[in-house]
Amino acid sequence: MGRLLRLIINSGGLFTFAILELLCLYLIVHHNDGQRAIWLETKSVYGSFLTEKINEKLAFLDVARENEVLRRENAALLARIPGSEYDTRIDTASVTDSAFQQRFTYLASRIVNKSPYGPYNTLIIDRGSNLQVERGQGVVTDGGLLGIVSEVTPRHARVISILHLDTRISAGLDNNAFGTLRWDGKDPRRVTITDMPDYIPVAPNDTVFTTGYSNVFPTGLPIGTVESSDPLPGTGSQNLTVVLLNDPLTAANGYVVRDLFKEELDRLNRVR
Amino acid sequence: MNTSAVINSAIRFVVLLVAQVFIFNQVAWGWGGKDYLFVFVYPLFLAMLPLRTPRPLVILLAFLLGLSVDFFSETLGLHAGALTFTAYARPLLLQFVQPRDGYNIKANPTIADLGSGWMYSYLALILVVHLLVFFLLQTFSIFFLVDIVLKTLLSFPASILVMVILVLIFNPKA
Repeated sequence: MGRLLRLIINSGGLFTFAILELLCLYLIVHHNDGQRAIWLETKSVYGSFLTEKINEKLAFLDVARENEVLRRENAALLARIPGSEYDTRIDTASVTDSAFQQRFTYLASRIVNKSPYGPYNTLIIDRGSNLQVERGQGVVTDGGLLGIVSEVTPRHARVISILHLDTRISAGLDNNAFGTLRWDGKDPRRVTITDMPDYIPVAPNDTVFTTGYSNVFPTGLPIGTVESSDPLPGTGSQNLTVVLLNDPLTAANGYVVRDLFKEELDRLNRVR
Repeated sequence: MNTSAVINSAIRFVVLLVAQVFIFNQVAWGWGGKDYLFVFVYPLFLAMLPLRTPRPLVILLAFLLGLSVDFFSETLGLHAGALTFTAYARPLLLQFVQPRDGYNIKANPTIADLGSGWMYSYLALILVVHLLVFFLLQTFSIFFLVDIVLKTLLSFPASILVMVILVLIFNPKA
């Protein structure tokens, strides 16, 4: 307050004058009819003109807000492009047969996200726990395998591709000999089957199938063809190089395999 | 500002207020339903304030006197606005009528200190400014310039006459 008083005194009266004169003008306009009428008339004549001019000059101040509005509108429009929608139609294949009870069901899904190609490939599909997708279920694609579900969210699931260094899938030949399918991280067209006994006769172009022993994939799905066999001396096993039938890197669709007997089989496996 | 100046100013404040409100506000002459001649005496209070009075105080006192007159005249803000402006303009007017050797620091704006010729021109300047601003605020529009000038021309002789007579009668020393 003291500083304010000093300011008023130091300003040589201009401050006092301005305040009191404005107060007087206010009183005049609000307590005298004639002056009020003139003031209102003046204001209506010049006010709109002045407002227009000021708005013209200050239009750029609104740009940030305008921009925000446009951005929201863009987002709303982008959200309506077909590619940005989550397909809620459920496409499950199952067969009703009185002689054969259904064991595996297939849930169609689209691949919405792929990791960049590397030794640890994963991808995301647009089906999740809302449709009973669970951890450990297999995903197949047109003419081959895709991977195994590893993480599940309500609407999406992460799939470990078969082109992943940690993937282990049970695979066998037509003659019921089986081994473990894994990828060495080098060629996305070739995988390797290890732990195959070396006394099993293997010929090139033999077809490799899933075995179904791990309850992940159904039995007898073709995976690829044998390119060469490579016995490992001293271990009693041989490695088979398998050329994949499909190209998991370019797959766009995946079918989540659900084993309806999984719980029952798991229960058996727990008993040792 | 010494004690006598304070007392004199206080007395002038009250007396000029009463005189203006109860006597000179009754004097108004005009034609066609409009008044053109008014008599103002209260600017005399502003004119007679000692020269060394701080400018903000002069403005504040002028505002208070104008507001008091307004309260009795039912023209809230008119007299106050005009006299506040005149108070702000007073140092400029004083410069305008400055004697050749400047103002004595202790001088009061009186005939005794600065002479009758100086006093008359000073009062005239104060009054002209006050009248112009007052009538401008009264009409509240520059479009009535003819009215403003006419009112000022008619009111000025009457007001200056009354003010000079009052100054000559009482002839204050401070």
